[in-house]
Amino acid sequence: MSNDLLHFEDFTPGRKFFGGPCRITKDDIIAFAREFDPQPHHLDEEAGKRSMLGSLSASGWHVSAIAMRLFAESVILRTANNGGPGVEDGRWMKPVRPDDVLMLETEVAAARPSASRPEIGLVKFVWRLFNQKGQVAEFVVTTMPTRRGA
Amino acid sequence: MWFEDIQIGGKRDLGTYVFTEDEIIAFARKYDPQIFHIDREAARASMFGGLVASGWHTAAVWMKLAIAERERAKAAGHTFARSGVSPGFEDMRWIRPVRPGVTYRFSSETVEKVELKSRTDIGLVKSLNEARDENGELVFSFIGKGFVQRRPAT
Repeated sequence: MSNDLLHFEDFTPGRKFFGGPCRITKDDIIAFAREFDPQPHHLDEEAGKRSMLGSLSASGWHVSAIAMRLFAESVILRTANNGGPGVEDGRWMKPVRPDDVLMLETEVAAARPSASRPEIGLVKFVWRLFNQKGQVAEFVVTTMPTRRGA
Repeated sequence: MWFEDIQIGGKRDLGTYVFTEDEIIAFARKYDPQIFHIDREAARASMFGGLVASGWHTAAVWMKLAIAERERAKAAGHTFARSGVSPGFEDMRWIRPVRPGVTYRFSSETVEKVELKSRTDIGLVKSLNEARDENGELVFSFIGKGFVQRRPAT
């Protein structure tokens, strides 16, 4: 393991990490939706206009996957981690539309040693995926086991 | 069919899915480039002992199967509430690694209906969604949320 990696001790509550920007295109939105979420408002502009959201919008799972990518680039790939057990809360707050530019802010919400495994600590992260208007498009709370430093 | 017509319970079988190595790698290269999702050799040396799917890939496949099942039911003459918009999810658990070549069975069950104070035209329906392996072991679960239109007042 490289000494450059981030360990549990580096994740002090309040510390923030930034990922992106990432621009999402209409073609990206439609390609993801064709494969995983083929609902009309993710596939077709006219159907999008008639939907509750008022325009073509990305699948929430696509938005989550983009947030994951930005979290990986800004945190996980620099961290001595042990995979992730899940997500406590995921909220799709604003539709993500073609040509939106997304940035991820990850904040350390809490960090505590594991009671059962002395070699790891549990870090609770809050993700805020911002669009170019400064609106939070997605909000996620996820806890990740992280190895403790020497 | 409206929010009022939806009943709690009634687990729906969404069918099965087998992930291939190639699609696990393709998804993860785009969205979750951790070594145990994108590199066969490195994955073998990781704590998983082999390539595993991104948890977000498993979630996306759940969605794919849920839509396909809904289309089959529609074709068979079942009616559905107009919906399709979701405010998010809760308590997503990646319980066991999802591996290539294994047959997973996915399901969905309505567990809660919530009337909204802020909106009288839609209600919130919560579902417990799962995937199980060939031995029936739970590998993945989450609580899904969807808005459904309410019956208009007459």
